[in-house]
Amino acid sequence: MVETKKMMWMFKKDIMVLWRHKPRLIALILFPIIMITLFGYGMGGTLTNIPVVVVSQSNGPVTDATLNAIKSTSLYDVVNIINDPNKGKQMVMDGQAKAAIILPTNYDDMQSQTPKNVIIDADSSDQMATGALIPTTQALFSQISNQLGIQELQSMGLSSSVAQSSQIQVQSQTSSQLLSSPAATASGGINFQNIVNSINFQINKLYGNISYIDFLVPGLAMVVLFSCMFGMGESIAGERERGELARLFMTPTSITTIVGGKILSKLTIETGRAVILIVVAIILFGIVIAGSMLLTLLLLVLVALCFVGFGIMISARVSTQEDYMQMVQPITLPMMFMSGVFYPVETMPWIFQKIAYILPLTYANDALRAVMLKGVGIGAIWVDVVVLLGFTALFFGLGVRGFNRDV
Amino acid sequence: MKYCVETFDLTKNYGDFAAVDTLKMKINNKSIFGFLGPNGAGKTTTIKMLTCLSLPTTGTATVAGNDILKNPNEVRQKIGMIPQMVSLYGDLTVKENIQLCGDFYGVPRDLRDSRADELMEMVDIKYAENKPVSQLSGGMKQKASVVASLIHQPDILFLDEPTIGLDPTTKRVLWDMVEELNSEGRSIILCSHDMYEVELLCDDVGIINRGVLAAFDTPQGLKDTMINERKSEKTSRSSNITKIVEEIQKEASPEENTSFNKIKDYVEKKNRDSMELSIMISNLDEKIVNHLEKLPITYKITKQHSGRIVIEMEDSEESVTQIISSIIEKNGNITSISTKDPSLEDVFVRVTAKKEKVGEE
Repeated sequence: MVETKKMMWMFKKDIMVLWRHKPRLIALILFPIIMITLFGYGMGGTLTNIPVVVVSQSNGPVTDATLNAIKSTSLYDVVNIINDPNKGKQMVMDGQAKAAIILPTNYDDMQSQTPKNVIIDADSSDQMATGALIPTTQALFSQISNQLGIQELQSMGLSSSVAQSSQIQVQSQTSSQLLSSPAATASGGINFQNIVNSINFQINKLYGNISYIDFLVPGLAMVVLFSCMFGMGESIAGERERGELARLFMTPTSITTIVGGKILSKLTIETGRAVILIVVAIILFGIVIAGSMLLTLLLLVLVALCFVGFGIMISARVSTQEDYMQMVQPITLPMMFMSGVFYPVETMPWIFQKIAYILPLTYANDALRAVMLKGVGIGAIWVDVVVLLGFTALFFGLGVRGFNRDV
Repeated sequence: MKYCVETFDLTKNYGDFAAVDTLKMKINNKSIFGFLGPNGAGKTTTIKMLTCLSLPTTGTATVAGNDILKNPNEVRQKIGMIPQMVSLYGDLTVKENIQLCGDFYGVPRDLRDSRADELMEMVDIKYAENKPVSQLSGGMKQKASVVASLIHQPDILFLDEPTIGLDPTTKRVLWDMVEELNSEGRSIILCSHDMYEVELLCDDVGIINRGVLAAFDTPQGLKDTMINERKSEKTSRSSNITKIVEEIQKEASPEENTSFNKIKDYVEKKNRDSMELSIMISNLDEKIVNHLEKLPITYKITKQHSGRIVIEMEDSEESVTQIISSIIEKNGNITSISTKDPSLEDVFVRVTAKKEKVGEE
């Protein structure tokens, strides 16, 4: 039997306790606000503004129309229009763009019988971006190709009704469907296929065919390392709460030594967990680490160190485990979604992009994916490494400085 | 070194609240010192500062000859502490916890292990050395904590409510151990609410109230002070009554004056030489009480429960003999008899109540 009065007392008691723990209360209110803002504005499910570079090697109305079509498509954010294909490819490899759309030199030559080879150099290490870019770009050029074909037919003096019929169908059908249309066959003797399919579309995945599991593993390793921050609550705030840390504080031992010991144990455990995840992924799913194994391991250690430092910084001053958890939650979960582990940073609203660049997970994710998927060396990720080292030093500095010996 | 602990205006503020307020205290070296005070009086805060677990807001202290602010690590090396706010790791065994503490104090491994064995034998916990602390009873945890706190052979041992929640047998084991450690030359600082424990063990007692030291003496010294204070209060009361009676006498007739003189004599005598005797009579009845009330040496009789009476009477051996004879004469069966001197608990209540009144004013 439910005793309403007592039940209400329990309810009242919990609310009163919460009200009196202001940091916990603030964190509790902030968490849903941050999450809904994040998902509402940033991760609505549709990717937009993926940075691309367009390599335009010809001038003319078709190029202009194509550039306009690309610019007006919300999926793309054209970061630059250049004329050197190698530079375009390099920009993708440097991470400045997710793809380079390369228009051929004969793109504007309507008289040429040579097919127009449009190439897309895609950063296949980013599955989310590539997965959205390739089909959309393919569809866009298919449509452009069809329109060019119709214009060609019109210029050849075919009746406007045939051209119109073709145009309507171009807008609603794929080029292969168009080829078998009655309008096309009715105009006998003309090779519609060549006219309508004047653009060849070539996909060039810069890092080869990366499977979804290959793509996922670095992110999952990040999540494993990232989750160590939750464990830090038990490790420091919990020990403080139970009076176990007081026993150590009573000995002639510096805070740096005690914190150093905590770091070492957490570092070993968390790096070990991430390594287990990768080894199991290699054994069970045959994932391939494109880069150096040693660099991957060193990165895992650095990332773990950074997150352990973050945990120590937060737990340094809180007195209970629950306070720690409530304080860390509004920081950690949004960080996970804003740092590019699940969604490309570049596709988020500008404010989230700015925030992403002050989050260590962004750099950790970038570096680990670059090594594991792109196979790059330290030279390509040194900025990430320096930033992570900076964050680590900052977190430890603040953590040790703010560590409250008072029990 | 004369004092193991000496505080110099030691103060700890939490916001506007002074938990410890300019505390000045000197604790004799190699003594057992009882540190008493009501809840929230500032005992634990003082202990935390003395054990370098909390920084004072102002003031300082020396512990084992070292300044807590200037040489905290030297202080830490020379002190040991047994809960309440310090715990062992529940998931480690007794032995592992002791080893961890030994290493944190920098005790060489061989010495650490031999001392651990010796101490575990002493407190009778050797048989449980490989058990996780979380699986131990409260008493065993306390014993393990004692060993961990003594592994580096501290000069001063702080005990914060060490016997709280322990059964009487385990309490006695700990008390014996405290005395043994003291006899080895260690200073013991004992925080407790158990007055019996403090009276039994301590050479000196300090009572802290509202962050200031309200009393400091030997247990007997504190009780004597209380007896003297009571006497002084009675004398003062008696003198006031005598003055009033003398004022009335100025306008009274000679017959009335005789009666007034008797009143004066009675008041003066009662307040000068009175004592309290507590007697348990198994067959106490009104007849015995009435008989005792009529005796000239008896001032007041208070009946308590279970056949106990408290007699306020003339302070002399003859009076005690006369009271006992009178009870036996009326066939009273005396099962216990004791004088009613103030206990340490009475002192504690009086000292802390006095300060509260001052505070309220």
